[in-house]
Amino acid sequence: MFEIYKTMWQKRKMINELARQDIKREYAGTLLGMMWGLINPLLRIAVYWFVFSVGARAGHPVNGAPYIAWLAAGLVAWFFINDAFKSAKNSFRSRRSIIKNTPFPIAILPAGKVLYAYYIHLILLAVLLAVMALILKTVSIYWVQIFYYDFAACMLLIGLGSMTAPLVAVSKDFSHFIDTFLIFLFWMTPILWAVHNVHPELQYIIKLNPFHYIIQGYRDSLFYDTGFWEYPLYTLYFWGFVLVTLVLGNYLFKRMKPVFLDIL
Amino acid sequence: MEVAVRVKNVTKKYKLYEDKWGPIKEIFSRKKLHKEFWALKNITLDFPKGESIGILGKNGSGKSTLLKIITGVAEPTSGSVEVNGSLVFLDVSSGIDSELSGYDNIFLKGTLLGYSKEEMMEKVEDIIKFSELGEFIYQPVKTYSAGMKSKLGFAISVNVDPDILIVDEALAVGDAMFRKKCMEKMNQFKKEGKTIIFVSHDKNAVESFCTKAAWINEGELIAYGDSKVIASYYNEYMSGRKSIEEIRTEVQCHHSLEELSFDYSNGRLSIRLNGYIYNKEQPDIPVEFAIRDMRVNQVLSKKLVRVSYEKDPFLPEHIKEKAGFLVDISEEEFPGFFKPGKFSFEIRYKRENRWNYIPIWSGNVRIVGREGDEGEIQGRYKYRFVVENNQLFLQIDNVDKVQEQVNNIWFENRFLHIEYVAFVRGYQTLSPEDVSSNFYLVNLDTFDEYMIPSTVSETEEITENPVFNPQGKIYNYSKFHVSINLDELPKGRYECKLSYHMKKPPYHEMLILAWATKTANYPSEPYVVGDKCIEIQIKSKYLQIVVSDAAKKDSSL
Repeated sequence: MFEIYKTMWQKRKMINELARQDIKREYAGTLLGMMWGLINPLLRIAVYWFVFSVGARAGHPVNGAPYIAWLAAGLVAWFFINDAFKSAKNSFRSRRSIIKNTPFPIAILPAGKVLYAYYIHLILLAVLLAVMALILKTVSIYWVQIFYYDFAACMLLIGLGSMTAPLVAVSKDFSHFIDTFLIFLFWMTPILWAVHNVHPELQYIIKLNPFHYIIQGYRDSLFYDTGFWEYPLYTLYFWGFVLVTLVLGNYLFKRMKPVFLDIL
Repeated sequence: MEVAVRVKNVTKKYKLYEDKWGPIKEIFSRKKLHKEFWALKNITLDFPKGESIGILGKNGSGKSTLLKIITGVAEPTSGSVEVNGSLVFLDVSSGIDSELSGYDNIFLKGTLLGYSKEEMMEKVEDIIKFSELGEFIYQPVKTYSAGMKSKLGFAISVNVDPDILIVDEALAVGDAMFRKKCMEKMNQFKKEGKTIIFVSHDKNAVESFCTKAAWINEGELIAYGDSKVIASYYNEYMSGRKSIEEIRTEVQCHHSLEELSFDYSNGRLSIRLNGYIYNKEQPDIPVEFAIRDMRVNQVLSKKLVRVSYEKDPFLPEHIKEKAGFLVDISEEEFPGFFKPGKFSFEIRYKRENRWNYIPIWSGNVRIVGREGDEGEIQGRYKYRFVVENNQLFLQIDNVDKVQEQVNNIWFENRFLHIEYVAFVRGYQTLSPEDVSSNFYLVNLDTFDEYMIPSTVSETEEITENPVFNPQGKIYNYSKFHVSINLDELPKGRYECKLSYHMKKPPYHEMLILAWATKTANYPSEPYVVGDKCIEIQIKSKYLQIVVSDAAKKDSSL
């Protein structure tokens, strides 16, 4: 049930090397290089803050956390999820020339893309934490918990990536579908708005979205000093969800590999 | 024998969908939504360790699919592949990322092949040096030319030191210098006991580089064996000379001419040939030896004397005991057959009541003549044995060159008169006793030969002509006349030859086709005598005579 993840573990060095190559490839030929990994998200955060806080006058502090900081924490987590998912789902398609030529365990490719996105995310996270420390003027031990949520996000994304990459390899339609769906999710996940603003029954449905677990976790760690063990049921639900995606990812990869190798 | 790659009953089926959603739908439904295309049909092949093996086949024959399955970048529909050792696959695309620089690509490829960064650090300098890219190595690959990309791909592939190297037409784009370098590198590989699988549609490349070869056609393995043998089969098929079925039978038939000895005594040529012929699948198929006059396609056959063949210890006993053969061919048996021209040596087998001819494979033949002959002997004519394209030929030439020309042709009653001149430069004819000539008519279907002696008469045409006779020699008796009795000539198409006999030293004797270009002096209308119609024709400047049914000729007019 977990063969491909066993391969990923065995080839973790190769995954790491691939992720590093990807960073090189992404920023090769640009003058600012890695700076783009910062400029782009920071600008997006600024734009959302301007629209909601200045434009819509909705930028009130959320449970005591300044809106801009609260917004940045959610967005940074979301950017990671979004970028990792997008590149993981395309991982077979974008490495087409090498898959068709070089024999290597291709099952590791989605994980490589997740790690690549995580490396870029780490830089942004470092900047975020530094800025937070300045704004909040405190540092909390709960900040370390972010790495737990990062780990959780990675596991979820590896599962989702392994699940969707074979489908995207077979047909590009899946790629477009997922891109569209991610825009929908971006607005439906409480990133720009607080979950307690909606009707309590609706909250349950919104919380079914596993990405919310990550984003909420980021904010809990940064502002509210809340541990993940304080929601045992939600944590259990999240990991159950991850398990299902991992098993499905393994199944779909095995099932589709002969098909997409021929089609790719 | 150690096996590097073992391919067992591999079949590959591609599904061709009309509907774009077909592959997805099919995963979730039981309905069949595709057409099937069999790229490989039950291929079983062993690639022995330490050899270079060629895979031949035209485009789309399935050879690249086979490679992809061996390397594991495609999965077989059924069957299995066993690979012993590390393997590198090199094809035209080379699997190079065009966004990254050449330098980064070296590490990317190395990573994917399972080498650590430290291991690659040791190899990287050799790779850059081999690739001849110099400073370009730090530029993105998208700025490279096709040749540069292929150089980089090859440099990486050979320098990571794999046990098995698979090359798929990858050298096609490199320049001659680099290709030579690659060949040298691959030869060094071979010496180190590594295995090379070399794919091409070019038989010459396979022939020169590989010891063994496999030929795949439309997904089926047609033949596997010595690269020269396979390449010659492939060539015969590609040039359209033979069908796959004919070649299949031939493939089952293993043959080789191993030794040829010849002698010339008492005015006759004799040849002795030995080698082997066997067919494991159909051991009882009758086989004969054949010699072909290639210009007119006249074939003479000779039964083989079967002897046991001991050089191949792997042959089953019942085949071994009569796998060898011995043939003695003497001019005595076939008078007049060995005349100036080119002859090929073939074997023939009967299939569906038709003789099929195969040139006997002679790539390793040892030619033994009398001492100092070196495959050449002079008797009545000059005899020379040569091997071209793994095939043995006998070339027979006249000792001297005869200058000749048919001057006049006319009909008179029941006779056809032909007047010609013939002389050999330097051989002076002072009296009618110095020379004689015969005229030959050879039926081109039955090869029946009619010989009519010519009469010689005096002429000053040659002696006085400074173009023919710049040295001022005397060729007074060089005019010949022959009258052919048409009653004695059966219907058919005849080619005309004439012989020239020197009656004094050096007593040479020549036989040549009658050269006829003075068309104004020949009758242009067919001549009817009795029930026959005789027509003079010139085929590529040589004289031919066609005797046909007069009645038919009339009705057709």
